[in-house]
Amino acid sequence: MKRSITLAAMLVVCALPAQAFDLGKALGGKSLNLGKTSKEDEIKIGREIAGNLLGAAPLVNDAELQKYVNHVGRWVALQSERPDLPWHFGVIESEDINAFATPGGNVLITKGLYRKLENEAELAGVLGHEIGHVVKKHQLKLLQKQQFLDAGAGLLGDKAGKNNDTVKKLVGSGAEIFARSLDKDAEFEADRIGVVLSARAGYDAYGLPEVLQEIGHAGKDDNRVALLFKTHPHPDDRLAKLGDAIGDRLDNIGEGKTLTERFYKIKN
Amino acid sequence: MKKILITTLALLAATAASAAETGTALKNDSLMAEPYSDARPVGSLTRGDKLDILEKKGAWLKIKTAKNSGWVRLLSVKRGTLGKSNDAAGVLGLATGRSGTGQVVSTTGVRGLSEEDLKAAKFSEDEIRKLEGNGISGAEAQQFAAAGSLKPRKLDYLPAPATQGGVQ
Repeated sequence: MKRSITLAAMLVVCALPAQAFDLGKALGGKSLNLGKTSKEDEIKIGREIAGNLLGAAPLVNDAELQKYVNHVGRWVALQSERPDLPWHFGVIESEDINAFATPGGNVLITKGLYRKLENEAELAGVLGHEIGHVVKKHQLKLLQKQQFLDAGAGLLGDKAGKNNDTVKKLVGSGAEIFARSLDKDAEFEADRIGVVLSARAGYDAYGLPEVLQEIGHAGKDDNRVALLFKTHPHPDDRLAKLGDAIGDRLDNIGEGKTLTERFYKIKN
Repeated sequence: MKKILITTLALLAATAASAAETGTALKNDSLMAEPYSDARPVGSLTRGDKLDILEKKGAWLKIKTAKNSGWVRLLSVKRGTLGKSNDAAGVLGLATGRSGTGQVVSTTGVRGLSEEDLKAAKFSEDEIRKLEGNGISGAEAQQFAAAGSLKPRKLDYLPAPATQGGVQ
């Protein structure tokens, strides 16, 4: 009886799709423990995933734009508990409406989403949401969970992956993590952090909700939001959750800035 | 001549009516006489209620439903309809310059980021170096903030709400 349960459990593990990204192997055979991943390892992992995503969608060739998002992003990140990570922000060539964060502090936003923004407070809100994922290590936790499952699958497979491959080779599909959903609660949490960080930074706290209003107007058949809607709760639910969380908590913080005049307008 | 005038008036009336932005209640909430949480309640809003947005003041919207009107918190209202496409932009859309953005474009040939694209992605050393090269220091960020008169504020993180969002 016991044995058949073990077998069944193994079959379940086997049925999971093989993942090309293997944390342990990526870090030279070391295994990662939740909460014990060193900052250096986290940065290494993030670099591979970001480089991977950039392979699919390169940075928009506009130095002023990239400089601008780095200034806004870094200022917002300074309001978090991890102000000293090597934060990098970028706008990538994609008409999709989406944004991504990797462990270690890389935040990428698509040109499609950037175009929807009207002012600096909205940009700060979007970047604040992504910074929230990094600060709470949401993606790292997802990878660690995946590693655990892979380890289970690995017991049954051949020892093909045993040799010490380099990080690069093994993270062949690192960007694939962005096709998977985080916990819904992780998204709601990142929304709350995005609002707070941008408010702490002196911006109008309602920048992120404004963007959610805007995104919520996209039709379900709009290709540009297909991935976003697949991997996130619907913007309407996110707005309602934010409303419940905020209540009267922002009533006395005074008015923040939107900085519409300074907002960098994308050229094409 | 009189007929022309009437037609013009009718047109104007139609324009005025469509200028009010419509919205939907995202959750049950109270309507207030003034845009303050300690103002006198003058009615209530039920999730799904259709409403007209008359005015915006800070984090509050003045709205009108079939039953009553008053002020409600910004985040209790979704502009347009729930979970559906709505390209009609009204007063707020006009005010933020959003009405003329021409959102409907052909998606044929547009570069997206599908699941397949992500799976097939290949690491780019050149691009990651560019990204890293664009990073700035905390001191530079502080200068940038000062240039925009952004003043840091103290604010605690928001606890997770106990209720289910919007469903009460």
